[in-house]
Amino acid sequence: MPGPILVIAGRDDWPTDRVVKILTDCGAEVFRFDTADFPQQMTIGARIETGHPWSGTLSTAYRTADLAQVEAAYYRTPSTFRFPPEMTEAERQFAQAQARSGIGGIICALECRWVSHPVAMSRAEYKPFQLQQARRCGLRVPATLITNQPAAVREFAARIDGPIITKPIASPMLIEDGQLKTVYTRLLHPSDLKDLSGIDATAHLFQAWVPKAHEVRLTVVGERLLTAEIHAGSAVALEDWRAAYDDLRYQAAEVPAELRQAVLRLMDRLGLRFAACDFVVDLAGAWWFLEANPCGQWDWIQHATGLPIAEAIADELQGIPA
Amino acid sequence: MIPADGRVPRGDERPSGPDSRPWILRFARAPDRRQAVPAAEAFYDHQQQIFLPVHGDLLPYMGTHHPTVVDGDPKNPPKLDEGAKD
Repeated sequence: MPGPILVIAGRDDWPTDRVVKILTDCGAEVFRFDTADFPQQMTIGARIETGHPWSGTLSTAYRTADLAQVEAAYYRTPSTFRFPPEMTEAERQFAQAQARSGIGGIICALECRWVSHPVAMSRAEYKPFQLQQARRCGLRVPATLITNQPAAVREFAARIDGPIITKPIASPMLIEDGQLKTVYTRLLHPSDLKDLSGIDATAHLFQAWVPKAHEVRLTVVGERLLTAEIHAGSAVALEDWRAAYDDLRYQAAEVPAELRQAVLRLMDRLGLRFAACDFVVDLAGAWWFLEANPCGQWDWIQHATGLPIAEAIADELQGIPA
Repeated sequence: MIPADGRVPRGDERPSGPDSRPWILRFARAPDRRQAVPAAEAFYDHQQQIFLPVHGDLLPYMGTHHPTVVDGDPKNPPKLDEGAKD
């Protein structure tokens, strides 16, 4: 009997439910937890010694997992540890750091099939790092500038043969003054560059605009490449498809053979077994890499195209080859 | 990990001046809440380790395939957005 599959996920990540259901229907032993369960609803006891790797148990009121027997782990946006409200703020921060290093360290030390390892996911979150690795793997990447210098922005815009865009390098959202706001990709007009006050306030990303035939959301699970074309039906959706979901049309497709090898090399370099990669396909049919999301959403793509993404994740966790 | 108070940076203050406010935030806008899809009422079942519906028999995950669009409510920041990478 194979050992347990750990599912380390936010409790409210409902697409994870789909993966758990497939795994349990297959007869796999699943131990799901959110790191927020620790320490109030979950305990850990683990030890290591010369000649023996980490062993011990993770336990909740409902089940126990033998750490030495863990076959695979699915890591998907778990929440931070939750401590008793009676703790002082200093105590809470101290306990948070101890838990992160302790249980977080044990989780990271598990030698099993990962989808994907949290350290690799954390590193792969950096867009500049992704672009560098993608370029090394033979993928086309749009000319990109990251700067906090207004003069560098003007010089970049002048050098690029065509329009440029800006987009956030990290989270596009914030809540301020009682309002939730988001920043989508913005196709810049020359007038946008007249006043660059605030460029120096932090790092900003600028990129050459690639004229689009359509975009591709390429979901990679192990060796499986699940390709969905995204066709924009409005100018807003063409600029950033997240801004106008109702204007999109999806179609399952195939990734060109040479792209397939480059993408698998990229995944290998990033150390990921799952990523939702975004590409632009230009008017000549060339693919341009935009980014890889180590924890990207996939459920709506599966629904729109029939691509078996949840099944692919479950197969990867169970070690079933593509 | 997602911080205890959510992954979206938050504060009660008004935007600062043009010299200190990041330039790209001049393009920040409230998302189109007409695209938001309300989440079904559900509870977590510890035995099955998935959410079950409070009403009806459709498992909540079977209704997750609408792209999750933020509804602009600061008390209900998105959990399944495409933008914020985890």
